[in-house]
Amino acid sequence: MSLAIKSQGLRMTVNGEPVELLVQPHETLLQVLRERLDLTGVKEGCGEGACGACTVLVDGLARRACLTLALEADGCSVLTVEGLADDQGLSIEQQAFIEAGAVQCGFCTPGMLLASHHLLEQNPRPDEAEIRRHLSGHICRCTGYAKIVEAVSNAAARKRGEEPS
Amino acid sequence: MSKQEWLIGTRMPRVDSEPKVRGEVQFTADIKLPRMLHAKVLRSPYPHARIKSIDTTAAAALPGVKAIMTGQDTAGVKWGVFRYTRDQQLLPVDRVRYVGEEVAAVAAVSPEIAAQALELIEVKYEPLPAVSDIWESMADGAPQLHDDHPNNINVHVAIEVGDVEEGFAKAHLVREDVFTAPEDSYFMTEPYAVVANPRPDGSLELWMPNAAPHQKAKALSNALVMPLNKVIVRKVAIGGAFGGRSDVFPAEFITAFLALKTRRPVKLVYTREENSVATRQGHALFTTIKTGVDAEGRVLARDITCYMDGGAYSSTGPIATSVPFLCMEQTYRLPAVRYNGYRVYTNKPIGGMIRIHGRAFAGGVDLQLDMMAQELGLDPLQVRLRNARQPGDTTPTGSYVQSCALSQCIQQAAEAAGWADKYGKLPPYHGIGLGTNSVQTGFPLGIRGGSQAMIKFNEDGGATVMSGVVDNGQGNDNMLVQIAAEVLGLDPGHIQLISADTEATANDPGAYSMIATFAGGNAVLAAAEDARRQIFEVAAEALEAHVDDLVAQDSKVFVAGAPDKGLPVGKVIRMALIQGRPVIGTGSFTPKVDHRREWLSNPAGQLSETFSFGASVAEVRVDPETGMVELLGLWLAQDCGRALNPMVVEGQFEGGAAMGGVGGMLREEHRWSDTPRCLNPTFLEYKVPLACDMPPIENIIVESMDPTGPFGAKEAGMSIAMSAAQAIIGAVSNAIGAPVYDYPLTPDRVLRAIRAKQDGEKQS
Repeated sequence: MSLAIKSQGLRMTVNGEPVELLVQPHETLLQVLRERLDLTGVKEGCGEGACGACTVLVDGLARRACLTLALEADGCSVLTVEGLADDQGLSIEQQAFIEAGAVQCGFCTPGMLLASHHLLEQNPRPDEAEIRRHLSGHICRCTGYAKIVEAVSNAAARKRGEEPS
Repeated sequence: MSKQEWLIGTRMPRVDSEPKVRGEVQFTADIKLPRMLHAKVLRSPYPHARIKSIDTTAAAALPGVKAIMTGQDTAGVKWGVFRYTRDQQLLPVDRVRYVGEEVAAVAAVSPEIAAQALELIEVKYEPLPAVSDIWESMADGAPQLHDDHPNNINVHVAIEVGDVEEGFAKAHLVREDVFTAPEDSYFMTEPYAVVANPRPDGSLELWMPNAAPHQKAKALSNALVMPLNKVIVRKVAIGGAFGGRSDVFPAEFITAFLALKTRRPVKLVYTREENSVATRQGHALFTTIKTGVDAEGRVLARDITCYMDGGAYSSTGPIATSVPFLCMEQTYRLPAVRYNGYRVYTNKPIGGMIRIHGRAFAGGVDLQLDMMAQELGLDPLQVRLRNARQPGDTTPTGSYVQSCALSQCIQQAAEAAGWADKYGKLPPYHGIGLGTNSVQTGFPLGIRGGSQAMIKFNEDGGATVMSGVVDNGQGNDNMLVQIAAEVLGLDPGHIQLISADTEATANDPGAYSMIATFAGGNAVLAAAEDARRQIFEVAAEALEAHVDDLVAQDSKVFVAGAPDKGLPVGKVIRMALIQGRPVIGTGSFTPKVDHRREWLSNPAGQLSETFSFGASVAEVRVDPETGMVELLGLWLAQDCGRALNPMVVEGQFEGGAAMGGVGGMLREEHRWSDTPRCLNPTFLEYKVPLACDMPPIENIIVESMDPTGPFGAKEAGMSIAMSAAQAIIGAVSNAIGAPVYDYPLTPDRVLRAIRAKQDGEKQS
């Protein structure tokens, strides 16, 4: 078959675990995470980088997994929604999303959470406009964004050791 | 419901939110089964064509291809919501009617091979002349899409109540205006997908985003000629619906057929473009509204003619053609009204129900009232209040309104927005507007209109609730658990929910037409009360108390006021088991509607047991140079009966305002080539609202405590999605000092309205 191009080795760390596998050069990070590693928390909403549902962090930077070739992540550390919680429980962002009612259908939630995590790593004290701007690469059709923005604001406060206002 | 509730009315976090934030819930595309095949669909490149032949030889020879199907394999089995609207072959045999219609399908060992196989299928078409819009389509001599519908009129809804002409004759002021809007779309974040799995016992299990598992199962049982209990639609997480998952699509028929043919699981995942073009779209509307009012602005008569572009097939046609009228007749008192609704076939994708169905209908009604108020020197707010529906009224087509707090919604939204200080007092190009609307809680659905629920218990006191209600993301799972937990006095964590699985759950009408809380919630409420009565009967003997004095709370049963001497529920369950009287609660709820009511032949009688009402106020600033609208604020008030969970209700308001108001009224529309082919089927070109587009929102929950809703609840948010859009029309028209008749209110349309006003001023 014409598609049978030579596979190449890919080594990366996914949610803290080392991963080594052979991939085709045209395989996207989204395909590898979802189909090879069964990390189906990474969602495909559009396949063209418009909706943000497939967002993962690659070496701490938010990337559209659908527009990222898997081999681009070679040697990198990848964080998906499945890696946000640890043995201690949910992350502060996850807890804040639950408490604020920021989750409806849940399809955009993984991308929103990773974008929020990314924002708060960069800026521990974002104002509402900054939160809205940072989340504007992510489409949510259910919530109208109000409770997501509230959740991120609450998570930021909690991460700073303050009580959400 | 005299007792104070402990869980109902609280901001309980949704039971489904933790698995969702963990990324652990499975949506349909996430399902992976052993030996699973992948399907792809070949689609028509023509808007209208005869299929002369399909050659699948080369595709079948491709290694990895396991099955191919065309219309020839299916006996032309047809789908339509009603017996008289069955006009869509689930896989067309000899004719295609829109660009994107299904022509053939392949199941292969990988999606890539399936896609490659599609390119090897040779279809010979004979292109036929196509129609792009309703006027072309209705013209004499136009190409006919379906043989039995002259002039391509698919549906005609005709309603007339009272003496309309007399009303106009008596009116102090009469206006007639035309309002238009093109197609819009759902853009739920999850693209459509289906998994079908044939099981060794001869049954077939399926997963797909749906708004009514029992209705999907019934349609597939008919199409596949299988007994209903062998067609099992399973529970799955669903990424939004908004009206766009209610119908039955070729996708599930194709996937089921390929799975049965190969005796292997098959998965079909739509691209974003397929989701837009080959599921459903909102209808384009052209609405002429004529209204006569007295000197105080009271409506005496209204005559509406609406043409809807329905696309290639009927879908929910009779319902879609009726609903904008019904919402209007519920909202406003109308002594005399005439309605002619026409749904017209065109060679475009199929029109379905959408959250803001009828933006160029409801929006027109409200804007016209504003214009008439202005001509009469009245405050539009007062005119709305004078015409607002009141509890105890009967609508023109005969629905009794058992609860209604529309006037309170209007007053509270206006007060919160500062209407009195703003209306007529804002600077130029700065405006305020009001929208009001009402929606149903369900329609007459015959034998499928009722919901039934069951609750069983384990020896440790935990309960399992079974209900056919499906959750599309709006929070129905939580609603069911919250109701059961309230009644049984159990922690929500002690309740396991089995829902929307047609093998286990009994019938339910589905999560569309806003019926889920009213019917499904009431059924679970009845089942929980039944179970609690059984628990109390056992406990009463042990506690030497009267059943009526018992309370269930904190997983215990005790005599009111004496929680220390209570029995754990688990202990009562074990006592019941030993005594041979196991606790199984059952409950059902069938809405009181008039089953003689029919969409076309008899649009009269009780449509829905109760109705919700909403009012929104919008404030905007318009840039007269660019026509850009800046939304400064939205004040959203709805009579939802009772807010079972205010946090969930607010989420429905905010989401409704985003989709219906900000998206639906400011930017969302499909564009077409001459073919006609949809030019913007993806998120890149079809602009839905983002976080940065949303204005400040104030939510105002109004509780009318419906007499038969569960704990007084009706439905949450739907009348906001619509009234927010209407409010924005009013605000923009108020800001520029001229009505805008064409929607959505994109800069070009707003500029045209400003220019038209300036031209008019020059001439006068």
